[in-house]
Parts: sequence; C-alpha cells; structure tokens
Amino acid sequence: MLIPHPLLGLRDSEEFSYLGDATLLERPDGMAADAPQRFYEYQHLRDNPAGVHRELWFHEQGDRSWLVVTRNTVTHEILGAELARDVKLAMAKGGAA
Amino acid sequence: MTDLTPICALGAAVPQSRTIGAVTLTENAELGLASLALRRGGAAPDLGLTLPGPGGWAEGQGIAAFWTGPDQWMVEFPGQASQDVAARLAGPGVSVTEQTDGFAAFEITAPEPVLVALMEKLVNVDPARFGSGSATRCGFHHMSIFIIRRAADRLAVLGMRSAAGTIWHALVDAAEQQEIRA
Repeated sequence: MLIPHPLLGLRDSEEFSYLGDATLLERPDGMAADAPQRFYEYQHLRDNPAGVHRELWFHEQGDRSWLVVTRNTVTHEILGAELARDVKLAMAKGGAA
Repeated sequence: MTDLTPICALGAAVPQSRTIGAVTLTENAELGLASLALRRGGAAPDLGLTLPGPGGWAEGQGIAAFWTGPDQWMVEFPGQASQDVAARLAGPGVSVTEQTDGFAAFEITAPEPVLVALMEKLVNVDPARFGSGSATRCGFHHMSIFIIRRAADRLAVLGMRSAAGTIWHALVDAAEQQEIRA
C-alpha cells in the first residue's frame, strides 16, 4: 500500500504508524462548561464507517510529519493525503475539517 | 587525567573501507553534523548554499544540507567531525543541535547502474525519482536512516551511531549478494 505524501511523493505505508480517526484534531475546549461531556465524546465515541474514512497517520520512518489520509476502509484504496498541520490551520481559520 | 583513545563508529582506530566488486563502501568518520530548525518567523543563516526543499540535498563550499522536515535541515560539514560545527549555525531565530556524535556515516561509490541496482535492494525508494541532490529518511533493516544521493555514482547512508555495526553488515551483505549474482 502506498501513501501519496504531499511533500515526498509515494511512500510505503510500512513507514507510517496509524493513530486513528482524524476527528482527533478537533480537541474540545477544556475550559468550556460542558467540557467533561465533550471530552467523553472526543475520547470514546467514534464513527466506524464502512467506506471513506479520514484518519491520522504518522510518517515515523520518514520526515515525521502527521498526515490526514483519506482511505476507503472497504477497498483500502487511498484517496488522498494532506499535512495534518495544513488541515488544522485551515480549521483554525474556520474551514471544515 | 584518563587517557582516552578516540575510535571510529565501527570500533577501530581508523575508518573501515571495503571494495566488493564494483562497489566501494567507506565509513566516513570525518563528517560533522548539526541539525537546523527555523523558529516561527526566523530567517535561515547564510551558509553559502540554498537550503533545499522536501527530499533535497544541496552542496556548497565545505558544507552541505538536506531537508528533514518543514523548515528543518541536517547540515553536513565534511572533514570537520572534531570541530564545534553547531556553533557555526547558531544565531537568532534558529534552533541548532549538534548531531555528529549521534550518527555514523557511510559512503557508497559505484558506477551508476551498479549503484542503482544496489539502492533498489537497500531501501524502498524509487531510484528513478532519487537522482543527484536527493535525500530522504526511510526504513532500512527495521531502522531509520537518511539516504543521500550525492552524485550519480555516490550514495551516502547516515544512521544511528549505536547501530553502526548493523548498518555496515547490511551494506556489506547487500554488496556481496549483488556481486554473487553479477
């Protein structure tokens, strides 16, 4: 399986380690009034789709960047990869995750 | 004061070198290294070379650098392992760490077709997209290494100094197997 690294091109997926759902980027505000409930949801409740899924991969044996990889969990087809930094910065500017 | 005897990463007093068929492997004990990272808004120091982009390696006069991450590079000082090379990079707006003691460097020289054939067996990187002036970090025998294409007929492998013997063994093994098949 090859992952199209946005900076380095196609790289072997064995160079990466997998973290999980990219919604982990949407960490709740710890100071909010409903923080305990939101952290409970953040930590424990995840969608487990059969199909297109956005997930976090770490380029451990590469440039040590975090990527958001879009993968079809049914076919294992990799549909795209972006730098998690770019995704997070876009979210901070008000864009969708 | 204790008498200390400096030794090379492979444990001998002098660097190891092996020629196997058309391939020459050399332990490069003289390579000074320091990592350079730009802090937010920081400017790169003038090193007499243009710091390369992703996957790149660039050479100047007595200095070279390769990309290791966004706004991060490893800077090489050939022949200057015994000097305080990190001090030469230090300045405002940058973070610098001495790396000479952490790494062992090995230089591989072979005619281009032989070198490309060897590289295909060493690392899972497409040699066609890895011409002169390329460098990347990748997996190698369950370790991480940096691999640099210094020229069409020259490759360098930088790995953990504590694993120097393992890296050397893997390089010798690959070169010997290639020689047997040739």
